[in-house]
Amino acid sequence: MVVELDRTARERLQGFIARAAGAKSCAITALRRLRGGAIQENWYLDTEITGGAFAGSLEAVVRTDAASRIDESLKRAQEFILLKAALAAGVTVPEVLWLCRDPSVLGREFFVMRRVAGAAAGHRLVKDERLRQRSEALVEQLGKELARIHTITSSADGFDFLSLPEPSPALYWIDRFRQYLDHLAIPHPVLEWGLRWLERNAPTEAEIVLCHHDFRTGNYMVDESGLTGILDWEFAGWSDFHEDIGWFCARCWRFGVHDREAGGIGARETFYRAYEKASGRRIDPGAVSYWEVMAHVRWAVIALQQAQRHLSGDEPSLEPALTSHLVPGLELEILQLTGKEN
Amino acid sequence: MRERPSGEELLIIARKVLREELLPLLPAERRYDALMVANAMAIAARQIAFGDAPERREWQDLSDLLGETVQDDGATAASDALGDLYRRLGAKIRSGEADPGTPSHDAVRAFLLDVTVQKLRESAPKILDGAGMEP
Repeated sequence: MVVELDRTARERLQGFIARAAGAKSCAITALRRLRGGAIQENWYLDTEITGGAFAGSLEAVVRTDAASRIDESLKRAQEFILLKAALAAGVTVPEVLWLCRDPSVLGREFFVMRRVAGAAAGHRLVKDERLRQRSEALVEQLGKELARIHTITSSADGFDFLSLPEPSPALYWIDRFRQYLDHLAIPHPVLEWGLRWLERNAPTEAEIVLCHHDFRTGNYMVDESGLTGILDWEFAGWSDFHEDIGWFCARCWRFGVHDREAGGIGARETFYRAYEKASGRRIDPGAVSYWEVMAHVRWAVIALQQAQRHLSGDEPSLEPALTSHLVPGLELEILQLTGKEN
Repeated sequence: MRERPSGEELLIIARKVLREELLPLLPAERRYDALMVANAMAIAARQIAFGDAPERREWQDLSDLLGETVQDDGATAASDALGDLYRRLGAKIRSGEADPGTPSHDAVRAFLLDVTVQKLRESAPKILDGAGMEP
């Protein structure tokens, strides 16, 4: 893991920011890699900008691809467009500033966004006593945010990199996951069991919106004032709006606080009510339950993909190596959730 | 004969040193790494403790389920034989041959639950506690 940039890379980054900001110069005062981000690297960046519209201190994050990334995730240029569209739609997101597609600067595409205050770590948020006292307000806010995300339509920049899931969002995922499982050395019959259940119970109709596809506790920032930013847009795409709701409420994303069904934070009813009020849609609880089964299958497939980064020898690393040992817990959940039909 | 302590015993004492003596000395931002190392050691120790008995049992159960005769000569690794049987089970499930209402549905589900519980005994036994199941 690269934790520092060499001097010439820092100078190139300073040069890029100065040009992009229309400034006379830019001096980096702090730069270090942030923890987390299996697929993307996030760099904490403080700069002093001289001249131009951005003159002064800038607290930012540089976001770039990690050495090995997951096929499904979007490229940084695409995530940049989505974040701009999200900001325009009134979603609480970090303000994206500049995109660099020139690989001679850092070796990979990256963008610079303003850093938002607060913390995201899911296992800490769900246990934060001060947060607990206003958890219903946070859940309400999250319901409203998700409703806003679901109003995003293709912007002037175009979302032509996103294709419609055919023949339906559910059947599209089922096909993708089966294709992936077929490539693995170790078969996963429990995931096959879940996928067959999902196929037999697939919804016949869906209202398609722009889904965030990783809207969950751990992927939004919170400080004393409340929600400060929805992060990690690299999986966004068109789908049934129930998919994001199912992902947010799925047991595997409650960080052990199972009685708080809305992301381990608060009541599911509060989340539903806020979403319905802000979106004008009716949530079908049965459809959400369906997408919660899908959420466990999808997380298991992502965990296997992450483990593969270690197993393939591309990136020998303990964190992805341990990820496959999360799969049995997800499989137990899948068996329990799909076991009610006889 | 190997010397004692065994690999399992070494992992257990090494993990104890890591958690009780080294972890408090680490800066906060490296704690997570140390906890991951401790977790990896715990999984390895539990797998060693169970040995290959669970996979041999799976081999037997899965052969029964698929109507196969096990040719267990005691030397063939169960994991090699299991790969092929598992692929066949997966294909059976995918094609709908284990759907509700089919003769094998209940037996397939019971088998899947058994092997998942065994994997959890090795990978994450706390989840079994949480689910009210025997770890």
